[in-house]
Amino acid sequence: MKKLLSLLLTLALLMGLTACAQAENTKIVLWHSMSEEAGALMDKYVQQFNDTLGRDQGIQVEAVFQGTYAEAVTKMNGMLMNGQLDALPDVMQLDATGKVSFAAADNAYTVDEALAEHPEADLSGILAPALANWQLAGAQLGLPFATSTTVTYYNKTALEAAGFAAPETLGDIGAMASLAADGVTVYACVPNTPTLANWLGQLGSNLVDNHNGTEGTAAALDCIENGALTEFLTAWKDLYATGALANANASTDEFVAGRQLIMTSSSSSLASLLGRIGGAFELGVSGYPRVNENASAGATVSGSCLVMFDHGDARRAAAWTLTNYLTSAEVQADFARGTGYLPANAAAAESEAWQALIAEHPQYQVGLEQLMRTPDTMRSVTVGPSADFYYAIMNDISDMLDSDLSVEETVEILRDDLNGMLAQYLRANP
Amino acid sequence: MRKILKGILGLLIGCLLMFPVFYGLAGAFKTPAEFIGWPPTVLPQSFANLSNFRAVFTQAPMLRYLLNSLITACLTSVVRLAMALLAAYAFAFFEFRGQKVLFFLLLGTMMLPADTLLITNYQTVSRLGLLDTYLGICIVSFVGASQMFMLRQRFLTSPTAVREAAQLDGCGDLRFIVSILAPMCWGTLVILFMQSFVAQWNTYLWPLMVTNTTLMRTVQVGITMLTTIEGTNYETILAGSAVAMVPAILLFVALRRSMNRTMAGGSTVG
Amino acid sequence: MRRAVRFSVKPYLYLLPMLVFAVGFVYYPFAKTVAQSVSVVNFRGEITGFAGLENFRYLFSRREFSIAMQNTLKLMFINVPVTLTLTCLLAWFSNRRTFLSPVYETLLALPMTVSMPVITLIFKVLLNPSVGFVNYALGLDVGWYTDRHTAMAGILMLTVWMGIGFNYVLILNAFRGIPEDLMGCALLDGAGPLRMFFSIQLPLISPTLLYVVCTNMIQAMMTSGPVMILTQGGPSRSTTTLIYLMYTAGYRSANYSLAACVSLVAFALTFGFAAALFLLEERRVHYQ
Repeated sequence: MKKLLSLLLTLALLMGLTACAQAENTKIVLWHSMSEEAGALMDKYVQQFNDTLGRDQGIQVEAVFQGTYAEAVTKMNGMLMNGQLDALPDVMQLDATGKVSFAAADNAYTVDEALAEHPEADLSGILAPALANWQLAGAQLGLPFATSTTVTYYNKTALEAAGFAAPETLGDIGAMASLAADGVTVYACVPNTPTLANWLGQLGSNLVDNHNGTEGTAAALDCIENGALTEFLTAWKDLYATGALANANASTDEFVAGRQLIMTSSSSSLASLLGRIGGAFELGVSGYPRVNENASAGATVSGSCLVMFDHGDARRAAAWTLTNYLTSAEVQADFARGTGYLPANAAAAESEAWQALIAEHPQYQVGLEQLMRTPDTMRSVTVGPSADFYYAIMNDISDMLDSDLSVEETVEILRDDLNGMLAQYLRANP
Repeated sequence: MRKILKGILGLLIGCLLMFPVFYGLAGAFKTPAEFIGWPPTVLPQSFANLSNFRAVFTQAPMLRYLLNSLITACLTSVVRLAMALLAAYAFAFFEFRGQKVLFFLLLGTMMLPADTLLITNYQTVSRLGLLDTYLGICIVSFVGASQMFMLRQRFLTSPTAVREAAQLDGCGDLRFIVSILAPMCWGTLVILFMQSFVAQWNTYLWPLMVTNTTLMRTVQVGITMLTTIEGTNYETILAGSAVAMVPAILLFVALRRSMNRTMAGGSTVG
Repeated sequence: MRRAVRFSVKPYLYLLPMLVFAVGFVYYPFAKTVAQSVSVVNFRGEITGFAGLENFRYLFSRREFSIAMQNTLKLMFINVPVTLTLTCLLAWFSNRRTFLSPVYETLLALPMTVSMPVITLIFKVLLNPSVGFVNYALGLDVGWYTDRHTAMAGILMLTVWMGIGFNYVLILNAFRGIPEDLMGCALLDGAGPLRMFFSIQLPLISPTLLYVVCTNMIQAMMTSGPVMILTQGGPSRSTTTLIYLMYTAGYRSANYSLAACVSLVAFALTFGFAAALFLLEERRVHYQ
């Protein structure tokens, strides 16, 4: 009898509490950079959250589109600089360029801090490489929301007609040089920060020191003494010499039109590629090409994560609830199916929705498999002068082919340019 | 006969110049496949394909955005022209100490890229409590050095008689501006209003920065919401752009006659 | 003949509204930029120390800087005369009305209603080397924005196109403002169309031309939007402009002091050109 009474009492108390919470809804704000279909999906998930979990717990989320990642980061930086911490959102979708600023924000609420407050939380379902991508100097900044990796797309119809299988190495692509014809290129690419880091990572090297800038501020290139940069540039020059490589950025338009046969691009392009190609040719997807036979396979993770800002107890807890919801298996599987991003949750990969998708378009499996196979040591690059770095790599490597510079000269140019930028950044940010 | 030939030649040149725009407008009716088909086409298979426009209005609250853009573009242009008119009047009809310095100071506002001013202006506008307001969107664009400059040029070419008349009449400066100067250069004012309207209509980054709620966004932000990360869904972007272009074109057609009001017409006033 | 009066507070009063906003929303932020150019600035844009001219030294030591400078000057020195000649020709051509005037005048002026991102996107699609309409229709094999030898030409085509509408309307308006009697007198003197143009029309529209040249010069010096969308400064830095460099090597690379230095250099250069144009004004521009 006593037990029953106490149970009833507890129940009544609990109900009262929920009623209270409902009376004073916790309103939180989510900033995102998802446009088009992904944007519509984001709105859908927030609506779903408000109608279910949010209603039960008295949380109402307002989702606001804040332009591209770069624009959202600009806005965040402006607020941090002006000390307007109140104006920051509770949850924000952030790409790699915002990591450093976020980590230094006074009211950043990292996942580590959230875990300390919510010890019952379980992140073991989130795929390790995707999770590791959002660490900086040992701190887990956020949870992966839109996860992708770089894969190879190829025109399976055209390649098979000429008797070629899926390209696995740069050498394989070079062997297809005979397919280059009037108005048709085999492969177009100019390496940039992430793609160069992929190729160097396959050779067991980082692009910059401090483990590609994830364990501390990068101070210098870390791929020169070990010969990795030379090895890659040599392979790149050889590929160009075969005639299979066009020294230009990949063009999705040309690929879709069947005028470019191979393209390396984000795995998140898959849904739109499938839609745009229609039935014009069969789209093949394979892993990121290896530099040579000795290189290991794999590519770094890219995409964006959800980070949180601390606006007091109630909102902080609500932000954590929302973040968990958006990175849950259910949402991740649906998001992956609608956009082509990879489900960053192991349970999502097991889900029926994902399995049904794989059955229909086996191409989706390639990116996920690559993500699982990529060694944890291969990290995406975090450097302060990010855009400067990105374009210098592109221009210097493009110049090597255009002006026929030697590999040695190019290594030196890259070293001077990139180390100079890193040194300048360190001077201003000791 | 020569006139007919000339007219036709003019038409051809005009069509050639506007070809990219026609191409873009036609693209709003295409299906994705038509953009990559070979040979490339100009006209869509069917102008009845309105699915891209449907996407524009379902993926973003476009009507609200159009309204926001209309309000901010009109507000900005009116304030801008009013201030430019006063300033140009001072430069053209007075001689005063520091005239050149002040003129170049104002002209210099055109020589600074918007990015340089972004963060500090954000700070100012938020301190003024103008975040998420129409005024906050407009206030940084009230300085119209370009319009001031053009009006100065226009005033300096006004017949001497006009100015003398003003002095003789002894009418106040403001009355002179409103009743003589403005009607005299009405065509120029209309052109500058149009230019100013379009410029404000098309701004993107600043309205995105100073607004935090979906309801306060402008049409250019709406178009960005339609693009994919790779930016290759041309058909939807072009449909969005076509929708965004319509108000500007309507305004243009409505004002076209006024733009052509000649200076000669004005000189008879004096 | 200006309205010569003794000291009056009036002109200052009329300038006041514009000056207030210019100071508040342009020169106050600009002062911060100047401060950043000689300071050590961290990744968030906070000034943490004094750097003297170190930031400028670093900027001038960058290879990209001299390339961007050359590209910007090239763009400006080609864009301005081409736009001026084209719009003058078009306005001169359409000055005399024909039965089709309303139609083609509208067509020639309409580009002013099209926004930069939209027309840039259309040029990108039209000038795609292998699936674009232009290469196909003209039977060309030009790489346009993918070839370092033609990318700048492609950017120029676009910027000239964007300038035509507005400048055309202004110049046409100026042509139409020339009093009929002046033209009539010249006709009676037996002047040919060329002489009419150079000795009567050109001087009379010169105030408008000064405006057109000056604003186009400023806009060309500030070019960055089309570069951002079409070429990202490439291929091989062939389209990197000063303002684009400011954006990528500065703001998007957490290097606010570099951005401030580029901004100052661009401002000084543009200001210098504008001042030179106004020296020309005193000699050549004809005000009635």
